[in-house]
Amino acid sequence: MPKRIYISVGLLSASIIAFQLTLMYLLSIIQWSHFAYMVISVALLGFGASGTLLALARNWFIRHIKIALPVLMMLTAVSMSLIMIISNTVFGSFDSYLLFVDRSQVLGLVITYFAFFVPFLFGAIAIGLVYIHYVKKIGGLYFADLIGSGIGGLLTLVLFWSFSPTQLPAVISTLPLLAGILLIPAGLKMKFTPLILAGLLMPIILFINPPRLPMSEYKGLSGALNLPDAEIVAERSSPYGQLSIVRSPALRYAPGLSLTFQGTVPVRDVIFNNGNWFGPVVEWSETDTSHFLDYTTNSLPYIIANPGDLLLLDAGTGLFAAHALTRGVENITAVEQNRIAVNMLKNELAGMIDSMYQDPSMNPVNLHPRSYLLKDDNLYDLIILPTSESFGGTSGINALEEQYTMTVEAMNEMWHRLTADGMISVTSWMDYPSRAPLKLLATLVETHENNSSLPAEDHIAAIRGWGTITFVLKKSPLNPDEIGRIRDFGNQMNFDPVLLPGIDQSERSVFNQLPDDDFFSHVDRIMSADRYRFYNEYDFNIRPATDNIPYFSQFLKLGRYGKMQEMFGQSTVPFLEIGYLIVLLTFIQITGAAVILIILPLFAIGWKGGGKLYTVLHFSGIGLGFMFIEIILIQQFILYFGNPIYAAAAVLSGMLICSGAGSLASGRFSKGRRGIVKVLALVIFFILIYTILLTPLLRLTINFPLTAKIFLSILFISPAAFFMGMPFPLGLRKLAELNDTLIPWAWGINGCLSVISTALATIIAVEAGYIWVMLIAALAYGLTLSANLIKN
Amino acid sequence: MKLAIILLVLSVLSQEAYSQNFERMRENMVRQQIQNRGIDHQATLRAMRNVERHLFVPRAQQRRAYDDGPQPIGYGQTISQPYIVAYMTQLVNPGPGHKVLEIGAGSGYQAAVLAEIVEKVYTIEIIPELGNQAKILLENLEYDNVEVIIGDGYFGHESEAPYDAIVVTAAAEYIPPPLVAQLKDGGKMIIPVGSPFLVQTLMLVEKQGDRITTKNLMPVRFVPFTRKE
Repeated sequence: MPKRIYISVGLLSASIIAFQLTLMYLLSIIQWSHFAYMVISVALLGFGASGTLLALARNWFIRHIKIALPVLMMLTAVSMSLIMIISNTVFGSFDSYLLFVDRSQVLGLVITYFAFFVPFLFGAIAIGLVYIHYVKKIGGLYFADLIGSGIGGLLTLVLFWSFSPTQLPAVISTLPLLAGILLIPAGLKMKFTPLILAGLLMPIILFINPPRLPMSEYKGLSGALNLPDAEIVAERSSPYGQLSIVRSPALRYAPGLSLTFQGTVPVRDVIFNNGNWFGPVVEWSETDTSHFLDYTTNSLPYIIANPGDLLLLDAGTGLFAAHALTRGVENITAVEQNRIAVNMLKNELAGMIDSMYQDPSMNPVNLHPRSYLLKDDNLYDLIILPTSESFGGTSGINALEEQYTMTVEAMNEMWHRLTADGMISVTSWMDYPSRAPLKLLATLVETHENNSSLPAEDHIAAIRGWGTITFVLKKSPLNPDEIGRIRDFGNQMNFDPVLLPGIDQSERSVFNQLPDDDFFSHVDRIMSADRYRFYNEYDFNIRPATDNIPYFSQFLKLGRYGKMQEMFGQSTVPFLEIGYLIVLLTFIQITGAAVILIILPLFAIGWKGGGKLYTVLHFSGIGLGFMFIEIILIQQFILYFGNPIYAAAAVLSGMLICSGAGSLASGRFSKGRRGIVKVLALVIFFILIYTILLTPLLRLTINFPLTAKIFLSILFISPAAFFMGMPFPLGLRKLAELNDTLIPWAWGINGCLSVISTALATIIAVEAGYIWVMLIAALAYGLTLSANLIKN
Repeated sequence: MKLAIILLVLSVLSQEAYSQNFERMRENMVRQQIQNRGIDHQATLRAMRNVERHLFVPRAQQRRAYDDGPQPIGYGQTISQPYIVAYMTQLVNPGPGHKVLEIGAGSGYQAAVLAEIVEKVYTIEIIPELGNQAKILLENLEYDNVEVIIGDGYFGHESEAPYDAIVVTAAAEYIPPPLVAQLKDGGKMIIPVGSPFLVQTLMLVEKQGDRITTKNLMPVRFVPFTRKE
């Protein structure tokens, strides 16, 4: 086997992972991240399909391997570029937002699936073919594959900083092209010239003249650009997303403004991230003594007290900071994890916001808010959380976002960062049917209950305007003066108190009436000891989020979906809770397709005997288990590093590189059934150790310097990852001895199950929590273990 | 020659059938989607029967114009579900001699429905392409009592204020203070709240002197719809 095959496999794997991440990025910009997730999951079935094709036409591929390998790699390159060239056609008339209301969009979805499926299919056939033909060298080849993927992940981060999103596929496509060129047999170079030229020309054209991808007209950025004289005045791409600053004389922002406000709502620029609302660019002046937020329910904590030290979590563009400055707050710690946005506000936009971020009162922190809470030991008079949901509802697009700032554990940490009279304040848009405000209240009540034996009624105030509700949880009981001021504030602003010590039912809807009193009775049940029964009875999931199930914005209860359909209609209910629904839809689609892809080869290789049960169990188990662990580790390290992008990069690369090392060592480490069983037992052991010890270990070392944390993370990840890299090559070697016609089938099964596992892990995490994902990962490896205990 | 005459007759007949078909669909829409859900304001029902909704949607979607749901009209905007249009119209209690301001003309359909009942409708559209389309269509349909204004709805239309009713079909996170100011004492403002394909509630703003109150109303479409004719 030529040595350069290792390099080609590495390059190809790097390009596939980089292309996958780039597509996720691009589709998140022009459509939505949940749609991107669905499309890419289906496209990744190219790996499963490659196994099916290789199983059906194994001999043909092996006979032509010298030509087939470079051609397949170059076709991967060409199809990566081609997608971008035809993308205008693909997306021209397709909008995922209309999928549930316009049946003609289904055809667009199918074309989109196919377009993105092709490069993955070509790439996966090439890798699968190498594995089948050179199975004796599988340890080294799988090592090259995993190392390539690990480097590809890191490379993508660098590319995201360096190029515009639409230029990325062009850059990435040069990798598989190079991989193919390396494998062109001597003497055939001339014959490959047209393919090489096509593979080179397309990325050059694309790089110089990247296509303008049509963004869904239902995205916030599209809406803003429809306004008169709207223009994008600045744009930045980074791994944090694509930030666009839009200016238009018609762009104003004053969320939930009181109807008593008689001033002018100022025009301001707005920042969008990946086409979605990020926040307004807040104009502020040192001489400002009032702010339009004084006329919103957000003012509630300032009505209760005059805080000196304020902690703002997910500070965004600094709207609440500007408000706090006009309210005379002395020290403001503004925690925002989007470094690019903060840098823009501190530097390029400093003039526009009158250098608010350079004010001596301001202490901007670039970290995940939860990581900051875990590291910080200061005390605050007030902690403000970002506004929940949005006007008119978010349609559940944030359902699968891990919101570690909104969990009960996070609120407990906030409670311990409060001074004796300190407050936690959070505002939500009112929604119908009511979900977000109820879940917020439940979280605050449970936080109070966890930390105090006094009745929560004396510590929680809530006030409601026409569109928003603000809750304040105060560490000390609310006193009569404070209660009186809240009532006066409500009367001045046309807001109604919802929760106050001694509140009367008649006070709750003087200015703003609701369709019925259900909301108030729900609030009262949450305040009572009956709340746990209410969580079960209510049609939506309003049980507080926890670190184990950190999906604050996931309100859908699967068992009540039928009832929702009855109430809202089949085509409109998806707009209520689309995020989670898309994952379920993805799971159904890929599982259905995977079953077909796995069964099809059986027509060629026969249905019975010859190690088929072993193949299914062994490769399903590792396909599921590996991805489950990868997903869990990324989730755990997000808080550890305080940055989801770097956490993902560190975990992905660390795991893949260590697994690659394991694969390389697998040849020497063990032979025969006993060896595999030992390896699998060790993997299961490490997963169980992670389940028990990883979270406490990470919490214990979170304050260590970054270099120490990187070292520790490698230390934590490497033992399990090293052994997790072994079962795949060991299984293939075993198949080579047992029945080598099963190798392509095994490759396909592994591919299919890896794709299914991402959707399945999410569903398990939402329904049961991360601990169960971990335990099921151990079970999946147990399945592989059982396969190796069966005598073939 | 004979063939040409036959084709001409066929064409006229099919046009007639086409238009009768829409008329039938419109009648079904009023009876099944609107009356059955409790809309009983006679002027509103009459207006919903009169206005040819299919002319207000893109040509490719005309056959779905009378479906029980909103339809996309481009630029991220929708033509509201027929029931919501009727419900909003009933809520502002329009009558002859009334002057109504609409924020967000969109396709012009809501303005046309209101124009069937009231004396004058001013409708403001911020997206020029949509506004101009609506303007031409409403002129072609001879709605002389509708004035389409291309501009920013934030400012309302002060020169013709106060209004008996204001319908804000393109709602934002705030209610522009000029609109509140331009509402007549005793007037009503109606605002649908929700994403383009899911109006969840309707907010009714009422002004009585200095006192401004809001009422969130739940469209009855959220109650299972079982009656069929």
